[in-house]
Amino acid sequence: MHEFSIALEIVDTLEENGYLDGVNKVNSVRLNIGKYSGIDKNYLGFAFQNLDDERFKGVSLEFVSNDSDEIKIEEIMVD
Amino acid sequence: MLNSNRINRGSKVGSAGRSGRSLSVQRNAMESNDVIAKKNKAVFGRTFVINFLSSPGSGKTSLLESIVPVLKSEGFKAAVIEGDVETDLDKKRIDALGIPAYQIITNGTCHLDAKMVSVSLDKLDIKDADVIFIENVGNLVCPTSFNLGEDMKAVVLSVTEGDDKPLKYPAAFYKSEAMVINKTDLLPALDSDIAKIKENALSINNGLIIFETSCKKKADCGGAVNKGIADMVSFIKEKIKLKAGEFKK
Repeated sequence: MHEFSIALEIVDTLEENGYLDGVNKVNSVRLNIGKYSGIDKNYLGFAFQNLDDERFKGVSLEFVSNDSDEIKIEEIMVD
Repeated sequence: MLNSNRINRGSKVGSAGRSGRSLSVQRNAMESNDVIAKKNKAVFGRTFVINFLSSPGSGKTSLLESIVPVLKSEGFKAAVIEGDVETDLDKKRIDALGIPAYQIITNGTCHLDAKMVSVSLDKLDIKDADVIFIENVGNLVCPTSFNLGEDMKAVVLSVTEGDDKPLKYPAAFYKSEAMVINKTDLLPALDSDIAKIKENALSINNGLIIFETSCKKKADCGGAVNKGIADMVSFIKEKIKLKAGEFKK
């Protein structure tokens, strides 16, 4: 179940690019998931619910799909 | 236990609403891994690198045991990065070939990522290598998401796995440049249809280069190098030359 690693990659990408600066809580993450990305959306949701990161507690994931192998973070909603 | 029917077209997981401040991100979610993969690629330099993906038991290590001696006999230098959940059994088999090898034990993780490979590059002598084979953890799903800095992925499928494997696990076939149909010596004992395997794989990725191989070492192979292995070696040699040529430019 590599979705835990993917969830950590997403957090790292957000962190490293400053999107989480000063953020107390992330309410939702909108992802564009390619059909050949090898990602199970249910498992990715499960992974986010079990991250050891209070900012993502209860986060909701929203998905749109594409025909590629890409996994793209489109938008986050934060407090 | 997760309910696989919880999402159909996957619009949402989780209970929170779309409240709060919106931040447009528009970034590759694997950016953090890909930055390290890019550094790995720079370290690889002129060396051609193949990342082998497959189910457990498809014969990746046996394939290397067949390919490497032929490459060695023609003066090419190879190195191997082995990925396994547990044990260094595969590395020991590669050690017996007399080439540099490094074992990554993932301790339960189902794939290699760029950081793991980066650590291995500090410990593996690759400076003279013409080709590096990365034998990923046996798994047709998870390793497909992680770029390691390789030049190409190749998916290995043994004929015992079923004709429909490419349709069931499309990501590995979509992302690979080559497919190796292995253990063809078993075909007489099976109902597997090799034409159907190819048709299914090509329906996912019509650019796949396909090799049919047997790594059986018994006398009924006549001791000769299997044609599929010979074709793979030719393919790899060509790739080595192309990469070295590109690197000089």
